[in-house]
Amino acid sequence: MSELTLLVLRFGFLAILWIFVFAVVYALRTDLFGARVRKVPAVTSAPPEISQPQKQKPLKREIATSENTNRLVITSGAKQGLEIPLGEEPLTIGRSADSGLIIRDDYTSTHHARLFLWGQDWAIQDLDSTNGTFLDETRVGVPTAVPLNTPVRIGTTTFELRR
Amino acid sequence: MAEVKQAKASSKSQSTQPESRSIKLRLHLPAKLRNLELALLVFACGINGVAVVLVQLGALGKVNPEIIWMGGGLAVLAIGLHLVLRLVAPQADPFILPLATLLNGIGIAEIYRLDLASGASGWQAFSIRQIAWTAIAIAVSIGVVLVVKNHRVLQRYRYLAMLVGIVLLLLPMLPVIGQEQFGARLWIKLGFFSFQPGEIAKIALAVFFAGYLVEARDSLALVGKRILGMQLPRVRDFGPILLIWVAAMAVLIVQRDLGTSLLYFGLFLVMLYVATGRVGWIVFGLLLFVGGAVLASQFFSYVGARFHGWLDAFNSDVYDAVGGSYQLVQGLFGLANGGLIGTGLGQGRPSIVPLAESDYIVASLGEELGLAGLFAIFALYLLFVSRGIRIGIAGQDDFGRLLGMGLSFVIALQIFIVVGGVTRLIPLTGLTTPFLAAGGSSLVANWIIVALLLRLSDTVRHQPRLVVTP
Repeated sequence: MSELTLLVLRFGFLAILWIFVFAVVYALRTDLFGARVRKVPAVTSAPPEISQPQKQKPLKREIATSENTNRLVITSGAKQGLEIPLGEEPLTIGRSADSGLIIRDDYTSTHHARLFLWGQDWAIQDLDSTNGTFLDETRVGVPTAVPLNTPVRIGTTTFELRR
Repeated sequence: MAEVKQAKASSKSQSTQPESRSIKLRLHLPAKLRNLELALLVFACGINGVAVVLVQLGALGKVNPEIIWMGGGLAVLAIGLHLVLRLVAPQADPFILPLATLLNGIGIAEIYRLDLASGASGWQAFSIRQIAWTAIAIAVSIGVVLVVKNHRVLQRYRYLAMLVGIVLLLLPMLPVIGQEQFGARLWIKLGFFSFQPGEIAKIALAVFFAGYLVEARDSLALVGKRILGMQLPRVRDFGPILLIWVAAMAVLIVQRDLGTSLLYFGLFLVMLYVATGRVGWIVFGLLLFVGGAVLASQFFSYVGARFHGWLDAFNSDVYDAVGGSYQLVQGLFGLANGGLIGTGLGQGRPSIVPLAESDYIVASLGEELGLAGLFAIFALYLLFVSRGIRIGIAGQDDFGRLLGMGLSFVIALQIFIVVGGVTRLIPLTGLTTPFLAAGGSSLVANWIIVALLLRLSDTVRHQPRLVVTP
């Protein structure tokens, strides 16, 4: 085994060690640096859909974004007054045990709705539920941005997004 | 049933055109996390194999396949743990297992290299024993993943955990089975089998601290007077911290081990801080510990010797003295010899340092892989610990948060104490480097921590945030 081969192998080993480190860092990049950069194009194409609920309603309300929203508050129903802190992660709502917010009543479907970050804005999406999801008493068809302090009703439970 | 894709799986395409595409639902998340884990795990095992081959090429000039077969056995075990996760904890964190496997494998390669230097073979060789212990440790880890279905069960046993932790800490002080090695009384010996119970105690104590602080945090955090901008707790709330301080000092004085004592006290302080958010506790605790340690160095000669060997390491009297700074300075020479890119695996002379395979594995690796390699290893540790803390932050219940935080912090602190000691930043102590150093108890303890973190991360993702029932 010549000196040169050993030298090359030595550098090669250090290189694969660092490649492993960067492979891990690359795999968890969204966790380390946040997902914002990838979602920039989404924000530019989002306005037409987002403005939809604003046009329908006479009252113009501020859309709940990841910046101005901290919690989800149950405003009526069995667990009235309870809060869920909201971070960046989506919240699934339904009767099934793998939902984030489990609502067990007769009006809720197994996988009822989903609250997720749409670009920067919180939006509610009805997952083809039987009894529907209502944003300010309007049935949600397409994924709709949720304004702050606006009631979202699922079955007998109503919640609002708040600061 | 309609099918809707999860947000994470398709956040980009879905956020641009949410309604123009057919909606698909996957009731179970795809095994994305596990596939990522498998890919990284195979990569890690590959690096481990390459490391052993390089050691043989560097030290022997030829490849001896025997030890590689044994390493292959470990790869099979690690993949076994991966398969178990696929079945019972599919949402567990995908980075922890590959990181631990890689660190463990690099450790085995370096220990094997030191065995080649000393000519040890068979059961006398540290590397063979390390491989056997790794096998046991991964098997125990699989067992923990299977048995502990939910970490909240552990909260029920917090006082049992306290008892176990204290008994384990005190075991080495018992006359017959306790054993003194290298001036520290940290081992128990049962026949041919010796064990360092303090390593397991750190897990038991982390469980106890988490369980205790979940209960006591309110009285510790909210009550008390404000003095100098810090909220000082009531006198009677000082009880637990004083108790842990006394225990830490007892370990320092009776077992003669500064590292272990610092590790447990630091763990308690940080968990107290995380639970209460009061800086006052940290300040008070550090003052207590430093005060105690300085007093101990005045009254107990061996503590004083450690401090002296640290501050005045290059003095030739200290260097030549029994229990002096010979090991420390040789380690520094080794690191200096390694330089930026190291001498290459199998080509340095790390075996000059006493205990190169256990306490001084960092110096051995630093000599052969250089600063570049050592920093890669530290980056692996950093990623491991940051995943653990991340699991703690994402936790939904207070006990899980504190436990995840405590378990990952205890590893971080242990690395700091060891590396700080070897590089003469703090006085040298005899702790093991997690995953790298030769030592069965340390391996078993750290692989149990791996299993608990995997379990925690799986429950974190599965847990509902709120259940509304009429």
